[in-house]
Amino acid sequence: MDFLAQVDPRVNFWATQPGSVEMWLKILVGLVISAGAIFALIKMPTRGRRPVVMAFTFLCGLFYVLLWIWPSPLNRKPDEIARSPAEGVSFLLADTLPIVATITNILVAILLGLGVYSLIRLHGGRIIKRHADRGFSVVLLVSMLTITVFGYLDWGMRTFGDKEGKLLDIANWGFVNLGADLLFDGLLQQMDSAMFSMIAFFILSAAYRAFRIRSVESTVLMASALILMVSLLSAVVVVWNGNVTNLAAAMNVPLANPSIGEAGALNFLKISNIASWVTSFLQTPALRAVDFGIGLGALAMGLRLWLGLEKGGVSV
Amino acid sequence: MTPEKPTFFEKIQNVDKRILYLILIVLTTIPLFPMFSSIVLPNEPAPHSQAFYYQLMSVPEGKTVFIQSDWTLSTRGENAGHIESLLRTVMSKKLKFAIYTVADPQAPGVYRKYIQSVNAERKRAGMKEYKQWEDYVDLSYFPNAEGTLNAIGSDVRKIFNKRVKDPASGKDRLVFESPVLKDVVKVGDVGLYVVITASNSFDRTVERLSDKTKVVVMCTGVIGPSTLPFFQSGQIKGASIGLKGAVDVEYMMKYGLNYPDSTGKIKVPWSGKEELKADPVVEGMTIARGSLYFMSFHAAIALLILAVTVGNIGMFMARRKKA
Amino acid sequence: MTQSQIDLFNAIKITCGVLATLGLYSVLYKETKFFRFFEHVFLGLAAGYAIVALWKETLYPTWWLKMTGVMNEGVMAEPAYWVYIILLPIGLLGYFVFSKKHNWLSRIPIGIILGLWAGQQVQIWWQTNGPQIYSSMQPVIPTETTSFFKPITTGAGFTPERIAEINAQIWPSQAINNFIFVVTLLAAFTYFVYSIELKTPVLKGFNKLGRWMLMIGFGAIFGSTVMARFALVIDRMYYLWFEWLESIMRVFGR
Repeated sequence: MDFLAQVDPRVNFWATQPGSVEMWLKILVGLVISAGAIFALIKMPTRGRRPVVMAFTFLCGLFYVLLWIWPSPLNRKPDEIARSPAEGVSFLLADTLPIVATITNILVAILLGLGVYSLIRLHGGRIIKRHADRGFSVVLLVSMLTITVFGYLDWGMRTFGDKEGKLLDIANWGFVNLGADLLFDGLLQQMDSAMFSMIAFFILSAAYRAFRIRSVESTVLMASALILMVSLLSAVVVVWNGNVTNLAAAMNVPLANPSIGEAGALNFLKISNIASWVTSFLQTPALRAVDFGIGLGALAMGLRLWLGLEKGGVSV
Repeated sequence: MTPEKPTFFEKIQNVDKRILYLILIVLTTIPLFPMFSSIVLPNEPAPHSQAFYYQLMSVPEGKTVFIQSDWTLSTRGENAGHIESLLRTVMSKKLKFAIYTVADPQAPGVYRKYIQSVNAERKRAGMKEYKQWEDYVDLSYFPNAEGTLNAIGSDVRKIFNKRVKDPASGKDRLVFESPVLKDVVKVGDVGLYVVITASNSFDRTVERLSDKTKVVVMCTGVIGPSTLPFFQSGQIKGASIGLKGAVDVEYMMKYGLNYPDSTGKIKVPWSGKEELKADPVVEGMTIARGSLYFMSFHAAIALLILAVTVGNIGMFMARRKKA
Repeated sequence: MTQSQIDLFNAIKITCGVLATLGLYSVLYKETKFFRFFEHVFLGLAAGYAIVALWKETLYPTWWLKMTGVMNEGVMAEPAYWVYIILLPIGLLGYFVFSKKHNWLSRIPIGIILGLWAGQQVQIWWQTNGPQIYSSMQPVIPTETTSFFKPITTGAGFTPERIAEINAQIWPSQAINNFIFVVTLLAAFTYFVYSIELKTPVLKGFNKLGRWMLMIGFGAIFGSTVMARFALVIDRMYYLWFEWLESIMRVFGR
């Protein structure tokens, strides 16, 4: 069962010589067969649609479930042959994993075109219908086209036209490379960063206007946030803790760490100890409970999708 | 009937938000000036930062470290400090590293810039630069984080079957022939697995690799709290969270952990783990970007706390006056 | 390019970045056409980059090169696995979403993606949460009651054996800490129970306690998020004021 073996580079039915006529012929045959399959699916009666989609979903999910529950090979040597059918299945699963790992990404990348098409349709429509803000749509489409052109040209130059790697040094860049770098590093990355950072301003004004002690819950939330924020201000923490330590020394009270159960009356006044205790015994279990809830929900949803139990999910 | 004039307390609840924005901009900019930025604020590293630094400094010299760098320039404020301090520590300890990303195709361009800048810094200081193939390998981008991480856990040599240029021969060779990866057969053979991220890619790493190797995380503050349950359960061995985490690591790079200075005083004690020690980093920069931003950070947080306090005082006093 | 040309390019690049940043920041004052211009530039660049990245970073290395193989100086480095071609029609099935009659075909690639995701959830759930469930089972009954608090071992001059003995016991203060941990976890967890009606005062009280505990967790998230966002603002200020000035000075200050 090594028909999908990736480790073996020998030319066989599934692996051909790159650039050969045989390769292109097999690709063409594969396309024709796929087209035939799609035609058959189009002609499929309505009753058969749900089982087809469910079958695809189930088989794909089965791979990872089998990968988890089937014994995995230990200390497998590169040319080792399976000694039993069970070991053969484990070898097949291990060999197929890198291929399956990329399937999702390839499919998602192909489907990304849907989003791009929607964007072009929306803004193209605004330009054609002479919408009031069509100027901005022109700006959007021109920016999109510019970075696409520069991006592909730059990639093409680096991949096919620069075997020695000269373009790794900025001194060897031409107009296209400079343009691509300006658009990406100079504009896109900086604007991305600016958009993320603007949230800080909104947090500040929202906290100022809306963060009010009106109920027990909001008080608890604010107290927890304040304790954490003050514990991040190390200058304040060190000075405060230093004063507590000096007071403890003056009163002859020993140093201790309440987070590990040690006592020292005055050490409960240290901000770092309070923050550490709140983090360890209140915040961590609360966040863990949220993670458990989300995990159980994801598990339940995953099982329902995999087994086709979800009405109105993937199935028709 | 003339409308009531707003009282002082009602006015302080309704300060124009643009004034707040301007104050924030001024308070975050002034401490960046050289006269302020050279001041090193005293610090008490958090327990999870201490654990992170201890794990990093415990890796034996010459061992390989995997660095999964999943961030881009949009979170430069925190992650740049992380990667710079990590690279400085790794290079000063003469550890080898393999660096790659599973989350963002923009990430390789970003981490390459920082490897170049730390190398340039080392060159200016007369220290040995790190060279590809001999000291580190750049494995670039792996699409599909879940599948890639599963594959790293089951057979790292199969998924990392890339070719990079060997400078000695000028030919492209498989990365596992390089001095960096020749002794790595499975992911458990690496000294440490470091995830630098601004997204939940560390979740996926922990899900798939935490039982196979030692994982530590350097992440932004947004996802920081979600690392703490994993730290508490031992699934990750340490975490450097946000700007404070970057400052903690830089501070420990300078002063060590449970490390006595020349006067015998321990500047950074690790409560409950007094027997575990980590040395300071002896060569290269230690206090850097994180500490540069830290004073501005103090000013910004103080402004937020003041704004919330003023708003609440205004609300209470206005209510009292009405009553 | 000479070094001065490189410096000039960097100065132009950073200046463009500064203008774009200020353009986006102008919304903090007022939403104007100036902001909307930069907003649409940003959206266009992001969409365009996604088009480039999907081929350059995803389809080309993981699909095209796998399908057509790799030659290295005339020698086959990677064979051509032609069967990868079937992923293209499967992916293109997604475009049937625009067809009124055949849009069910678009569910096939979505089903494959979700099936792969769903299959991993079983493994992921246990590997993520198993150790956390285990570590949540904290001892709540003390094993040593000679002292309420755990004796301080730091600098106390105890022998290593005595320190190990002290650390091996659960002291009442630790048991209380652990009890608080477990109660917090269970209370916050029961907040997500929607399948049964909470009738009794005990259950209702526990549910309320869970809500408060969740507020503590959200307070932590708020504090951390604030740190993250302010760090980004500080970085932008550094970029706007210092990196830009430095790049300009490098051009003129030689």
